[in-house]
Amino acid sequence: MLESIDESDKMHLLVMKINETKIKIPSSEITSESAYLNRRKLIQSVGLFSLGLGLAESTFGQNQEIRLLKSMRNENYSTKETPNSFPDITTYNNFYEFGMQKSDPYMNSEMFEPKPWSVEVSGEANLTGTFDLEDLIDFNKLEERIYRLRCVEAWSMVIPWVGIPLFSILKKFEPFSSAKYISFETVYRPNEMPGQKRRILSWPYKEGLTIQEAMHPLALMAVGIYGKELLNQNGAPMRLVIPWKYGFKSIKSINKIHFQERQPRTSWNISAPKEYGFYANVNPLVDHPRWSQSRERRIGTGFFGAKQPTMPFNGYAEEVADLYSGLDLRKYY
Amino acid sequence: MLVPYFLLIFRSLGYLSGLGVNPVETIIHETGLWSIRFLMLTLLITPIAYYSGIGSIAKLGKPVGLMAFFYVLNHFLSYAMIDQAGDIGVIVVDIIETPYLIVGWGGFLCLLGVASVSFKRLENWFNQNRSTISGLVYGATILGVWHFYWQAKVVELESLIYSIILTGLILWRLRISTNRKQ
Repeated sequence: MLESIDESDKMHLLVMKINETKIKIPSSEITSESAYLNRRKLIQSVGLFSLGLGLAESTFGQNQEIRLLKSMRNENYSTKETPNSFPDITTYNNFYEFGMQKSDPYMNSEMFEPKPWSVEVSGEANLTGTFDLEDLIDFNKLEERIYRLRCVEAWSMVIPWVGIPLFSILKKFEPFSSAKYISFETVYRPNEMPGQKRRILSWPYKEGLTIQEAMHPLALMAVGIYGKELLNQNGAPMRLVIPWKYGFKSIKSINKIHFQERQPRTSWNISAPKEYGFYANVNPLVDHPRWSQSRERRIGTGFFGAKQPTMPFNGYAEEVADLYSGLDLRKYY
Repeated sequence: MLVPYFLLIFRSLGYLSGLGVNPVETIIHETGLWSIRFLMLTLLITPIAYYSGIGSIAKLGKPVGLMAFFYVLNHFLSYAMIDQAGDIGVIVVDIIETPYLIVGWGGFLCLLGVASVSFKRLENWFNQNRSTISGLVYGATILGVWHFYWQAKVVELESLIYSIILTGLILWRLRISTNRKQ
């Protein structure tokens, strides 16, 4: 088993209570302090006027202690596009464990307790067992990566994630050559995740990748956004970010990792196999059976922002197209 | 009946917490939802008048139905003019490519037919063809609920409820008309 990092090692990580309104929010790497405070004011006023209209009073909806995270921007893997605002990223989410409306995760996730967190690792690997979050993530080696995110519903965002490459976690477990696939599971806690009380999907949420995809340097295990720990609605405390695939592949609040020889079943594929394949690579040429995937609405472009064309592999074709050479992308959608 | 509409206008002006992170989607979803709700209400008026014994309630059918058409029109226009930026070529391709849009368009055409005979000039025709009118409203509602059900990734509770009520209404209607024929 890996050694847990010492409590004192975490001292550099500033702890603050986000629900204290008077607190000064320190600047993150890419947002100026004033811009960030303005956003905060904006969402506070949203909270004040939203009674009865279905938005929560508290901006962040939870009493989480949100730590700031130290990270280095990885320019090679970051887009130059302007990131979406913090309110955009934290109030418009698909996370059916907390409800099906976009504002539900932000409104209904305050019960969720992401600390402490442990992950069960099993299957075709030398090192298996239960690991604490701090065993898996080296908080001294965090990177910031600004990725595009394309939802299967034809909207998109640009998000400054903080995390570490997935391969750097996975190789610690020394997977066997028989480990052709990796499956991931979201935690199942119906008392903290009200959406899990209805069987709208096969709970716990399951996702999977081929080992080649998981080992690709673009695949990220994220623990933060905008220099702060992930909020519950974004998949605290750790989630995948696979930027060339539709958003539902980037599974949130992961507590199980399993190395296996056979392709895993995934929740959306179980729910509607003809609509959501195992690969789910962003592809403007392969439509969803019920809607077109050729264009997308970039969140934050406002009322008259035109839709923009969707790029193959969400603009990461240069990096990842090789993974799929010879694969019929219409058949393996 | 216009309260939801004015609320939406206030919200688009930035009041009442605004339209949220994806304003275009909010407008389209809200106008769509209220279209379905008013269509359901239109169809419920006849059985309510029938069982309550207050026949004058039936007169509400026309204004409520027109209100439904008003929301449908706003729903369609916000899709066409805002979401698709008014590009007719793009709209046609989008509707053809998207099955639930074909269904929604069909519902819109049904209501367009009903609304056009609501003008005075056509009122006589309207009075002589009540069953055609109510058939078109039923058609529009069925297509509308189908469109609503079909655009979601998973079955939404609200569309499920409307489907059940609608099925009940159709069965009731069929029973009434067979009774009349006997």
